[in-house]
Amino acid sequence: MPDDRFGVGASLLRKEDDRHLYGRGQFVADLQPPGTMEVAFLRSPHAHARIRSISAPPEARGRVFTAADLPRVKPIRVVSHSAGAKSPPWPPLATDKVRYVGEAIAACIAPSRGEAEDLAAAVAVDFEVLQPVIDPVRDMRGSRHPVHEHWGDNLYIEHALEGGDIDAAARAAEVSLTREFRMRRQSGAPLECRGVLAYRDHRLDEIVLYASTQTPHTLRVALAEILDLEERRIRVVAPDVGGGFGPKARLYPEEIVLAALALELDHPVRWIEDRSEHLLTAAHSRDHHYNVTAYADRQGRILGVDAEIVVDGGAYGLWPQGPYHEAGMVARALPGPYMIPNYRARHYTVATNKTPLGPYRGVGRPGACFVIERLVDEVARAVGSEPNEVRALNLVRPQQMPFATIGGLRLDSGDYAASVRLCAELLDLPAVRQRQRRGEPDGRQVGIGFATFAEQTAHGAAEFAARGAAIIPGFESCTARVLTDGSVVLMVGIQSHGQGLETVLSQVAAEELGIDPARISVRHGDTESTAFGFGTFASRSMVMSGGAVARASRILRDKLCRIGAHLLQCDVAAVRCADGVVAGPQGSVSIAEIAKVAHLRMDGLPQGVDPLLDATATYEPAISTGVFSYATHGAVVAVDPETGFIELLDYAVAEDCGTMVNPLLVEGQIRGGVVQGIGTALFEEIPYDEAGQPLVGTLADYLMPGAAEMPAIKIGHLHTPTPHTEYGMKGMGEGGAVAPPAAIANAVRDALSSIGAEVNETPITPRRVLAAIRRARVAAGAVRS
Amino acid sequence: MTAIRMHINGVEVADDVPPRLSLADFLRGRRHLTGTHLGCEHGVCGACTVLIDGEPARSCLMLAVACDGREIETIEGFAGDRVMEVLRRSFHQHHALQCGYCTPGMLITARDVILRGRAGSERGIRDGLAGNICRCTGYTNIVTAIAEAAKEVPDAG
Amino acid sequence: MKAPAVDYVRPRSLTEAIDLLARSGSEARVLAGGQSLVAMMNLRVASPGLLIDIARLPELATASEDGDAVRLGACITHAAVEDGRVLDPSRGLMPRVAASLAYRAIRNRGTIGGSLALSDPAAEWPAVLTALDAEVSVRGPNGQRTLKCAEFTTGIFETQLAANEVIESVRIPKLSADARWGYLKLCRKAGEFANTFAVAVADRRRGHCRAVLGAANGPPLVLTNTSQLLGKGEADNMRDAIAADLGGAADRHFDEFQRNLHTVAALRAVQQVLQ
Repeated sequence: MPDDRFGVGASLLRKEDDRHLYGRGQFVADLQPPGTMEVAFLRSPHAHARIRSISAPPEARGRVFTAADLPRVKPIRVVSHSAGAKSPPWPPLATDKVRYVGEAIAACIAPSRGEAEDLAAAVAVDFEVLQPVIDPVRDMRGSRHPVHEHWGDNLYIEHALEGGDIDAAARAAEVSLTREFRMRRQSGAPLECRGVLAYRDHRLDEIVLYASTQTPHTLRVALAEILDLEERRIRVVAPDVGGGFGPKARLYPEEIVLAALALELDHPVRWIEDRSEHLLTAAHSRDHHYNVTAYADRQGRILGVDAEIVVDGGAYGLWPQGPYHEAGMVARALPGPYMIPNYRARHYTVATNKTPLGPYRGVGRPGACFVIERLVDEVARAVGSEPNEVRALNLVRPQQMPFATIGGLRLDSGDYAASVRLCAELLDLPAVRQRQRRGEPDGRQVGIGFATFAEQTAHGAAEFAARGAAIIPGFESCTARVLTDGSVVLMVGIQSHGQGLETVLSQVAAEELGIDPARISVRHGDTESTAFGFGTFASRSMVMSGGAVARASRILRDKLCRIGAHLLQCDVAAVRCADGVVAGPQGSVSIAEIAKVAHLRMDGLPQGVDPLLDATATYEPAISTGVFSYATHGAVVAVDPETGFIELLDYAVAEDCGTMVNPLLVEGQIRGGVVQGIGTALFEEIPYDEAGQPLVGTLADYLMPGAAEMPAIKIGHLHTPTPHTEYGMKGMGEGGAVAPPAAIANAVRDALSSIGAEVNETPITPRRVLAAIRRARVAAGAVRS
Repeated sequence: MTAIRMHINGVEVADDVPPRLSLADFLRGRRHLTGTHLGCEHGVCGACTVLIDGEPARSCLMLAVACDGREIETIEGFAGDRVMEVLRRSFHQHHALQCGYCTPGMLITARDVILRGRAGSERGIRDGLAGNICRCTGYTNIVTAIAEAAKEVPDAG
Repeated sequence: MKAPAVDYVRPRSLTEAIDLLARSGSEARVLAGGQSLVAMMNLRVASPGLLIDIARLPELATASEDGDAVRLGACITHAAVEDGRVLDPSRGLMPRVAASLAYRAIRNRGTIGGSLALSDPAAEWPAVLTALDAEVSVRGPNGQRTLKCAEFTTGIFETQLAANEVIESVRIPKLSADARWGYLKLCRKAGEFANTFAVAVADRRRGHCRAVLGAANGPPLVLTNTSQLLGKGEADNMRDAIAADLGGAADRHFDEFQRNLHTVAALRAVQQVLQ
């Protein structure tokens, strides 16, 4: 029963706001049990070195822990079932070698963080420095000192994906374009860095970890295995988490070490990561190299794409999925939402002496979108069409769905071309073209660019199994409970770190139970109180957890109706559950009354109905290959050809995520994702030098987008509910971050079309713009002369 | 250790602290006012913004000992402050927060932007927020929330 | 990161501060706004043994007329300049520069004296005060000295300030009513350090015309040829003059991109004056 006020589809204001508006949130760093000691890690200053010796000053005895001091800690080991995957052991505290700047060597404990840092500075380590592996393209087949000695090369995995006949396409093509693309390494950089508080609970005989994580249950799985403890003796709680975005969905050495210290010491220990540490050691992302050729006919129909993809995976694999999926994701997503019939993608995931690479909003999709959407624009130029005409020509049409792309993705539903048209409308494309013809009084050049993509969301067992994962996030769970007073608790296995799941999940329950969300609490992030679930990532929570909430709620609803019908002495088919009551033909009984019967007056229950109002359900969409939301993004930029500086004048998103449970929150996710994508497109980069030293260390040189640089982001919606999920909803949390690099690069290309300059790497900095302009002028000069 | 005395949210506080302790850590660790957050400790992100003698300042760059005799206002304060009340409601109505980590600093900065009469235009608001990073919202709703709040307290700026 | 251990003292007068500084030697640093120093301590790139807090010394917070100039105390904050709460000798240039310096919360505490004493190559005040032909008054155990701002910064984070001296005030000649100025700061993100910035001041009545480049890999770079042309009001050969000035600064090791950027900044700042 749709309820405009607070069910599915309502833009309900968020329940979680109150505590944050008054500074009463509870993040890991806000928790400080009595007797807590602070931990600082001594970290490697070298990218690649053998450790000859570690010596702590005598006064530090009992307060400095190296690997030797924590023998129960086993190395992290990602298991992959993909053929040829190599998986290095990763000791949480370095043993004989360090393999990236920042790798943890020792944990130092003191009453305050400052004193713990003092202690770390007093520990002396003798290194034998080795030549680092820095260039994944050059060194994938081997180097003087491979990152992992027994490999023989530096490849985590290589693989090829092929469909159709790419060589035939190459022969038949009238247009052939080859480009190199580069997305540079960056950080997910949530505003709250990582943190772990760990202590022993003697009453419950367990260790308790409060961690800033997106995946508390799987963190427990890992800790149990690595520390050789039964899971029943570990509790993991993700309290308020200040942004996750992917980097917090992986197991970290620090989490293991803190848990081990809690076991070892009889007082709470706490590690609160600082920003420089985060930029250095939290998972890096997006470090991709591409060499791609597109083949097309003279009309702009893309006949085939041939791609080489290299992902710089860093020194170790982040559990559970390791670096193995990123390149494969790129390869499968690269054909985009297009009917491309021929394809080859050879991809390589390379180990280097850099920080391990992990997922960050969009994962492989921003790179894939960047490549194919830039190529679409270049094909358009080559054949003399508008880019959006080439898009329309190649986009999969609604009547072709479900459509299996040549990359192996099953596009389920949607009108992609309509999103292109809507986006152009939102930006008033004709007006922009007019403005371009008029020219700018200040000499800048205006351009507009678009990018279309389909986002695989809520993919489950089949998809992850296909990726060779040993841990398959194929479902979500919910335990729904009506308490004796009729109020409701939903206990879910996901973890909300800004997405508003405390609100939207109560909307789903409200939809099914007819109870005001204000009477529904959502408990998440705690292994103690929730059934197993995988956590929040991969744009899955609304669909997966929402689906589980719906199923559990329906089980409760049916029981409420059975008991209610009995109390109303009528047939169960004659009652319905709505507005906080079970109503029949001659009256109604409140949920609270039914709850009292189910708990306190069970003599009133009908025959065959047990006490309690408690239901646990799991959910996975009907298809586990994912449901695809999609969007077209458009950007309008002004480029100063003298300085290379770029201003974003306008930005629009025309998107379709099926049924929106809470449109207000959906738009919040889109805008947040877009600004992160703009960060990737224009600002964020962690360069490394030849010695493997990262060249940014603070927010003074790692630039994050601020309000002053952002345009107001316009949003238009299309609605194609998918038949495969509850209410027809699709996941959409990552999409905002997928297209901005492509849309902006295309806009810059358009702005500089008179010069012919292309920038095919991110971030698009003034330096790179000027270099592209210079290259284009030199090439034009060469052509003329 | 150095003896200090200051007002925090209108209440007089006396303590003995090491000079190296930042105001942020003093507030969070010694006074248990954990609403002020740390996002960088080098003055860029704005999550630690509090009022010092009525003006927004980075509590991560202020030593507690240098606050002797000063008036500090944190997000836990502002009781009875009309502009803050309007802002809080407006942030809620316009979905101007997601994870909540930047929110305390953002609210204190937004209040100052309104009081200095800079909230009359989108440009003015955006420039006023330059020193407060939000990683979640994309800023659009924060700007709207501040613009709407400013309209409700026209006499403030 | 957390700052290392340090001692702290808050003198009640400038004399007391100077005395403390003299007695404490190289371990002591003067603390004004702390916006740079405490950040450096938090990153452990600075570890003074003693902080001498001068932020609240009343003798360092005054602004006064001084003949045909304005004297600003060293601890006047950027925000005070931005808001016009202190006398402005620069006909709007200094408030304009202040408004785009870092962020408001930083400006509420950061000081002109602090900016000068540190002389970060990308900092605004050393270059702007050089363009305005200001002087800086410093005081030490041996008394007071007056130094030209144009000579005060000698390198990257290097100044003429002795270790036992404190900046007391800056004296800025008032611009004439018909003086013109230009200012351009280029950076990608509002409030960050400049990639380049240029200040151009033309006060023909006083015979003072100067164009200065900041964020120039060293002390503020006075563009002498450009300044001369500015004085003559000649727009035509400006590009060549700038090129000559940049070429003459080979020790700055600008790469092509930087040279490009500096050229554009200088040209546009000068154009603002000559329009």
